[in-house]
Amino acid sequence: MHQQLTSLSDKELISRTRKQKDRESEGVLMDRYSHLLVAITLPQLQKNPSLDPNIVFPTLLQRLSASLRTQSIYKANEWIMHTQRAYLNNQEKATPFYPSREARDLLHIENKVDKASTNTIDRQEIILRLEQALQRLAPEEKELLDEFYVEQKSFSDLAAAKGWNRDKVRNQLKAAKAKLAKLFINQAYVK
Amino acid sequence: MLSNSDNSDKVIKIFSGIRCVSKDQLPRYLDGRLTDVEKHLVEQHLTDCDLCFEALQALEKEGNMDKYTDLTGKLQRYIQQSIRPVSQEQKVLQYTRKERTKENLLVYFWVLAFAILGVSGVYVLKGHMRNNPTIPRLMVSAIPPAEAEKMPATEPAVTSQPIIAANHTSSVSNTAPAPAAAAPASAAAAPAAVDSAKIKLLAAERAAKRKAQADSALKASQAAAEARKQDSLKKLAEEKAKKDQEAEAAAKAAKEKEKEKEPEPAPKKEEKKEDAPPPTNSDENLYKAALQFQQQGNLSEAMDRYKRIEANGSGKYVEMARYQLGICYRSKGQSARARRMFKEVVRMNGSLKAAAQQALDTM
Repeated sequence: MHQQLTSLSDKELISRTRKQKDRESEGVLMDRYSHLLVAITLPQLQKNPSLDPNIVFPTLLQRLSASLRTQSIYKANEWIMHTQRAYLNNQEKATPFYPSREARDLLHIENKVDKASTNTIDRQEIILRLEQALQRLAPEEKELLDEFYVEQKSFSDLAAAKGWNRDKVRNQLKAAKAKLAKLFINQAYVK
Repeated sequence: MLSNSDNSDKVIKIFSGIRCVSKDQLPRYLDGRLTDVEKHLVEQHLTDCDLCFEALQALEKEGNMDKYTDLTGKLQRYIQQSIRPVSQEQKVLQYTRKERTKENLLVYFWVLAFAILGVSGVYVLKGHMRNNPTIPRLMVSAIPPAEAEKMPATEPAVTSQPIIAANHTSSVSNTAPAPAAAAPASAAAAPAAVDSAKIKLLAAERAAKRKAQADSALKASQAAAEARKQDSLKKLAEEKAKKDQEAEAAAKAAKEKEKEKEPEPAPKKEEKKEDAPPPTNSDENLYKAALQFQQQGNLSEAMDRYKRIEANGSGKYVEMARYQLGICYRSKGQSARARRMFKEVVRMNGSLKAAAQQALDTM
């Protein structure tokens, strides 16, 4: 059972947890993100020695488990990030998680692309519209996206070429992608 | 064109969803041990995912890696422990619940079973109690064929007594030799537990006495008649009136003869019963004698007489004789014959029908 659950997507695991009250799938989901949770919490633990990992992580897991049942989660990574931030900022108050507009747009496009993967007509249409959206981007952004996605250059290559550090490359790419997503969605509305 | 189409295909990758960096991939990416394709996929994901990028940044700092692996291991163990025991606990709970329901059902079942058993036991007992009276009845019918005989045997004897008494009173009032007839009647009416032989002897003696008495009476009357005739021969003139007297005397004599003959056949019947021409009296006497024999336990004699009544008799005596024959057969253990007799009695549809039917039912 555990083996089968690990191959399921986040969305399915969440729905199983909610509908069937399946503790096991909840555990699989938490297990999937546990290392990232530890990694992002490490700096805070080092900064603030009063935080005990034996208390922080169990309470974090409890909060995650509680919010898993009540809140709409589009992307698990965003949800975990938000919950961790909220906990570390204010340990008393449980701030509810609302997915950002950008994240929802991104998810929407990702789902569309995923659906079109086997449908050539849809696929061609998406590609056409993506090309159109790309044309409307700033030339540097378009160039950056082309280099990263089409030419498959790594962060380090790009950083070396542009003279930026890796974080800046990543942030530039993220910003360009967000812009592109916005353009793509707006095109759809115009159409 | 081809390259263009390839490029356009790659454009779509911009928005392909990629899972977060796995526990296995993260350290390998940091060490630069991933293949180019894998590395590119991870970097594609890193552009979107703040969580993974932040984790990467945190792990790149010195000294964090050991703590990371330690804490990750602990956390994963914690998650597995916190979830598996719960699921196991749930299973145990479900199992215990099932067992409890099973036990409860079993308890209900047994309670029901015992209740049903109890109720059926009471029912059966009631049925037994209801049937109990039949068992004593059976016992009664099995034990006292003798009693059963006595009951109907004594009853007819009692009923027959007044008839006989009436006969005798009339005969006493009518005639002189009536005491002779009364004697056997009283003898018959008082059927003491005397031996049959003695009774026979007594009856024979009485019959002889009566014969003697009757003979003497006849002689006396004849002598008187002769004397009167002689007187009439002597006194012819006066004798017209006397002839009337003679006629009267003759009539009287004839009457006396008749009345003398009446008591005679009764004792004769007791001596040699087949000679008896008048039916009712002989049947009655035979029946009484048979009853006596039966009461004394001499069944074969009694049956012999009953058979005779059955063969020669008429009316109710045949019926009674058959009934008594049936009882005799029953007490002898010849149930088939007894049944046949009772059936015949029933068929005759007389006063003993009900008794015969009851006897048939109880056999």
